[in-house]
Amino acid sequence: MSLTEHEIEHLREHIEHYPEKRAGAIYCLYYVQDKYGYIPRASLDEVSELTDLSPTQLDELITFYTLLRRRPVGRRLIRICDSISCYTRGSEQVLAAAKEASGVEFGQISKDGAVTVLPSICLGLCDRAPAGLVDDSEDLGELTPEKIRDLICSY
Amino acid sequence: MEKVLSRNFHHAQPLDLATYRAGGGYDSLQSIFGRDREEMVNELRASGLRGCGGAGFSTGLKWSFLAKDAPRPVYLVINLDESEPGSCKDRQVLYRDPHTIVEGVLASAYIIGADKAFVFVRGEYKVGAAKLEKAVQEARDAGLLGDNILGSGFSLDIDVHLSAGRYICGEETALLNALEGYRANPRSKPPFPAVKGLWGQPTIVNNMETVCHVPSIMHKGAQWFQGQGQNGGSGTHLFQVSGPVKNPGVFELPMGVTARELIYDHAGGLLDGRKLIAFQPGGSSTPFMTPDQLDTPMHFDAVAKIGSRLGTGGVIIMDDTICPLKYTRNLIEFYARESCGFCTPCRDGLPYLVHLFDKFELGTATAADHQTILELCGLIGPNTHCALAPGAVMPVQSALQLFDDEFKKHIAAKGCSYS
Ligand SMILES: NC(=O)C1=CN([C@@H]2O[C@H](COP(=O)(O)OP(=O)(O)OC[C@H]3O[C@@H](n4cnc5c(N)ncnc54)[C@H](O)[C@@H]3O)[C@@H](O)[C@H]2O)C=CC1
Ligand SMILES: Cc1cc2nc3c(=O)[nH]c(=O)nc-3n(C[C@H](O)[C@H](O)[C@H](O)COP(=O)(O)O)c2cc1C
Ligand code: SF4
Ligand code: FES
Repeated sequence: MSLTEHEIEHLREHIEHYPEKRAGAIYCLYYVQDKYGYIPRASLDEVSELTDLSPTQLDELITFYTLLRRRPVGRRLIRICDSISCYTRGSEQVLAAAKEASGVEFGQISKDGAVTVLPSICLGLCDRAPAGLVDDSEDLGELTPEKIRDLICSY
Repeated sequence: MEKVLSRNFHHAQPLDLATYRAGGGYDSLQSIFGRDREEMVNELRASGLRGCGGAGFSTGLKWSFLAKDAPRPVYLVINLDESEPGSCKDRQVLYRDPHTIVEGVLASAYIIGADKAFVFVRGEYKVGAAKLEKAVQEARDAGLLGDNILGSGFSLDIDVHLSAGRYICGEETALLNALEGYRANPRSKPPFPAVKGLWGQPTIVNNMETVCHVPSIMHKGAQWFQGQGQNGGSGTHLFQVSGPVKNPGVFELPMGVTARELIYDHAGGLLDGRKLIAFQPGGSSTPFMTPDQLDTPMHFDAVAKIGSRLGTGGVIIMDDTICPLKYTRNLIEFYARESCGFCTPCRDGLPYLVHLFDKFELGTATAADHQTILELCGLIGPNTHCALAPGAVMPVQSALQLFDDEFKKHIAAKGCSYS
């Protein structure tokens, strides 16, 4: 597991446009996470070299920011909002159905490796409550327990 | 009223640069480039534009705090971290009309004389950030960004930064730490960012919607902008209504539209068979308003006058099917979880509030617990490092007043009578 010369060059270029190297850390960590689905230990060393932050300092960032992770997730990562607008429209039931359909606890990978379900803070989709987001890119709106169950079974 | 922020929302896809320009996009630059900067800041002050990120601080006033001989570089940072439950307005512009953001940033950067602009986008808006990045690239290719823009002598580039999550990143000084690659703990204010901000340099932080109002104010004038509002408000605002209404959504309306018009005419009123109990006018951190206050104009001063806050203008509805205590518990739990952990009253106090609310739900609460909630709110509110915890406590204090009988009922009945 390691970044290619080309990838390292790309990251280096990105870091260069900040006055301080550490400002590029989030970008680098995201880059690694997009590549592997999570941030493996070996990548910490590589990012450390690029940003002059120690692996511990990088871990400080990863443990603070909720969208970064040190462990793998299922092939699809489903976030379901549990904040107030969604709560008033039944997010509790949607979350319960999603957990049941995944067959495991929140944050765990389902047995077939297909999904990980996570409760989330407001997703800015309050007008479509109860709302969710798949792989941080695909919006889910007007969710019901049936809809989320069908979706998870289709993966 | 003319739509400004949502004027292009009828298109199925975000407009490319050519189509955006054909509709008058970037024309505002003709009224801005070459004009005296101080005069423009004064015009902005006169227009009555106030920060759309929630605090409602006069934008012109904030910009006037930038010293004329400010050390270079000066930064403009756009807050697109939108995470306050009930707020979903910035997302609409980001996903549906990113050139409006580029134009707003460019106009604002010129007026304050910024050397570089950053747009800080929450990680969950990744797709929107890519749309904005594309618009920025189009603008670069057309010479609207870069060196010596349109021969004005002014140079600017826009950096789109994708954040990695957490509500606290939206607090402006926490945001600056996040951009610099630190944990997003807030900094002490003062010094305000206008004096000492990103990498210690003078920095103006504004909500995305705020800067998107600037081009048309400069193009059409302060008076025109004032005329867009009603009942004492200035300009338009992207109001949002969510919760149990028939037509939840984002609506660009005059600042000062009444809560009644917003909730009933635009959001379609409550779902059939439901009754309005209370509503939060501007996101989850704002004190409740009640049905007898529906005729309040939705602008900063009018809502403040009755003891709440306009916040982001994201109205959240509480109806008669949900227990007011359960509703309030959900709000506190959000803030308890999103506390950045920096100071004790917030880090330890908010989870303890959640615990006390659980006792009401479980039927183990006593009158002493009711009193403790009241006292705890008074201890947390004024003693924290940033506005997150005060924002968490305000709706709780408001619930204690409004729903006093519900707290007592929960104690007497040893639990909750709502299903
Ligand atoms: N949009 C969203 O998702 C969220 C919005 N909020 C809102 O944030 C608000 C609190 O924000 P804060 O930034 O703590 O409010 P604040 O009142 O401290 O500041 C508001 C703005 O005015 C500037 N400012 C104030 N006094 C100044 C001075 N003397 N010199 C120079 N600049 C000055 C600040 O730098 C800031 O940009 C709440 O009212 C809440 O509604 C809270 C959470 C989320
Ligand atoms: C906990 C917390 C979270 C905030 N989140 C946001 C946010 O997501 N977006 C935003 O524009 N302002 C947010 N703010 C307000 C900012 O600190 C700041 O007042 C605002 O960005 C200034 O821009 P404006 O004057 O244009 O409103 C938040 C404040 C606090 C205390
Ligand atoms: S009030 Fe809460 S969010 Fe703000 S600095 Fe203190 S712990 Fe962090
Ligand atoms: S409260 Fe669920 S998306 Fe905003």
